[in-house]
Amino acid sequence: MRDVITFEQVSRRFGERLALDGVSWHMDEGECLVFLGHSGAGKTTLLRLITHEIQPTAGKVIVGTFRGGRLSRRQRALLRRTLGIIYEDFRLLHDRTVFENVAIAVRIAGHFRDDEVIPRVMYALEEVGLHQKQAAFPHELSFGEKQRVAIARAIVNRPAVILADEPTGALEKRSADDVLTLLRRIHDEGAALLLVTTRQDVAAALPGRVLELAEGRLLDSTHAYPAGMAPPAAPEARSEAAASFESEGGALAPDPDPTLPGDPPFATEAPANPEESSSTAPPGMA
Amino acid sequence: MHAFYLREALRSLRQHRGLATTAILALTAALTLVGLFLLLTHNAQVALRFIGDRREMVVYLRDEVSDAQRESLVKRLTDLFGDVSYVSKDDAWKEFAQQVGDPQLLEAVGQNPLPASLRVRLRAELLNAPAMAEAARQVQAFPEVEDVRYGAEWVSRLDSLGTGFRQGAIAMGVVVALAIVFVLYNTLRLTVLARRHQVEIMSRLGATDGFVARPFVIEAMFEAIVAALISLAALYAIQRALAFNLVGVVFLPWMWMVAFVGAAVALAWLAATLALSRVLRSVGP
Repeated sequence: MRDVITFEQVSRRFGERLALDGVSWHMDEGECLVFLGHSGAGKTTLLRLITHEIQPTAGKVIVGTFRGGRLSRRQRALLRRTLGIIYEDFRLLHDRTVFENVAIAVRIAGHFRDDEVIPRVMYALEEVGLHQKQAAFPHELSFGEKQRVAIARAIVNRPAVILADEPTGALEKRSADDVLTLLRRIHDEGAALLLVTTRQDVAAALPGRVLELAEGRLLDSTHAYPAGMAPPAAPEARSEAAASFESEGGALAPDPDPTLPGDPPFATEAPANPEESSSTAPPGMA
Repeated sequence: MHAFYLREALRSLRQHRGLATTAILALTAALTLVGLFLLLTHNAQVALRFIGDRREMVVYLRDEVSDAQRESLVKRLTDLFGDVSYVSKDDAWKEFAQQVGDPQLLEAVGQNPLPASLRVRLRAELLNAPAMAEAARQVQAFPEVEDVRYGAEWVSRLDSLGTGFRQGAIAMGVVVALAIVFVLYNTLRLTVLARRHQVEIMSRLGATDGFVARPFVIEAMFEAIVAALISLAALYAIQRALAFNLVGVVFLPWMWMVAFVGAAVALAWLAATLALSRVLRSVGP
């Protein structure tokens, strides 16, 4: 298995405060990795280092073929396009519909034709069970639905790695369970999943290694897969994407025909063939 | 250019109507100012050309020049400088008599003292002070020629006036161009800051600067086009009002109007590119 993310003795200082202190870890292709820690432990700093929002004070961060150092703005954009990122506060565009919020990620990836955009977006919305709300605006959705829109946006380009920053932090239990089920399913289909959380129960609900962070350091209590859980045996569905991730300087080649196996976990009337969904042209796209 | 960017630009214009209107009004004011100067310059050029077309050189001939010599000189002057017409001593006297009008005064002059002359309507490229001076010097060198007159001082003044108008138009153009860049630069900066949330999200999703910037650039160019068209409409109204009271005031030619709109759009593109290259660096995470 190839490493998709590697931290080598990474430290990050903000003024006097050491947010991360000589942290080393790696994540394999298709793996699920959970970082557990209290607020201020350095979890979000870790994610910001992966997405190159910030640079390490010391050490090296390797993501795919992006081997540390300061990236140009173009390279940084390319790196981010290879990742699917889910935020605690959703980061949705308030003046756009659910469909447009997901479609913007497809367009950023370089797809502009409606016959490319519509099927991809509709399939992603079906995966998260929101295809019936494609015309709704974020303010018309519950927190759980907003997070599902954010997940649809993160997976719509079939990234090899999904980063989730406390994805259940703003949700009540039932919505949180739905979101975790969805993330587990996406991981089962082959995507590497890196999730940071403050909650033990969230870490326990995911089938992956758990690394504990405290005061910017990894604790020895770090353990592998929780009891009764096992890593996915063969992440075949996304291995091609992961190969592109390695070979194209981190750039993924999104599936032209999005066909993830299995039924979408939240789908109520999901068509078996994603092409069928393209017949339901969203408002403003017909 | 994908329709997506156009839709995004229109969305931004709709959502920030106030900013867009302010930018269009400020641009319209600046463009109308420069347009007024262009109108003035163009009309001055038309007037100067009209006056300049009447510029001619008068070549006075020696009394002893024969018809054959004169014909030969006319041919050479025509080849070198432009159309030549011959005014005989008698014709010159008749013209003089007509201008003076008083028979007693003419009788007092006695014998016709006026020389025969050639009037040369110079070619267009020679209708400026240095070229006319050089032409006069060359004509003076012919043995058949007694004297050459072309109103050197008057021609020089006319040229200075034309140059002054051109320089004024260029200076005004530069000042207004800077004003336009300044207005658009700051308007776009405010627009980007107003949409900071959106720009940040797009940047986190992997949008390149070009992806984020294109709708803003289109927006700026659209504002420039609208402002330029409003300015032209205002200038046309001003020209009609002036033409009503002042004969001969003309509007800008088509090519000037196209160049006017094109220059406004080019400046908008420049301002947008400058503004966005700086602002996006400070906004994007």
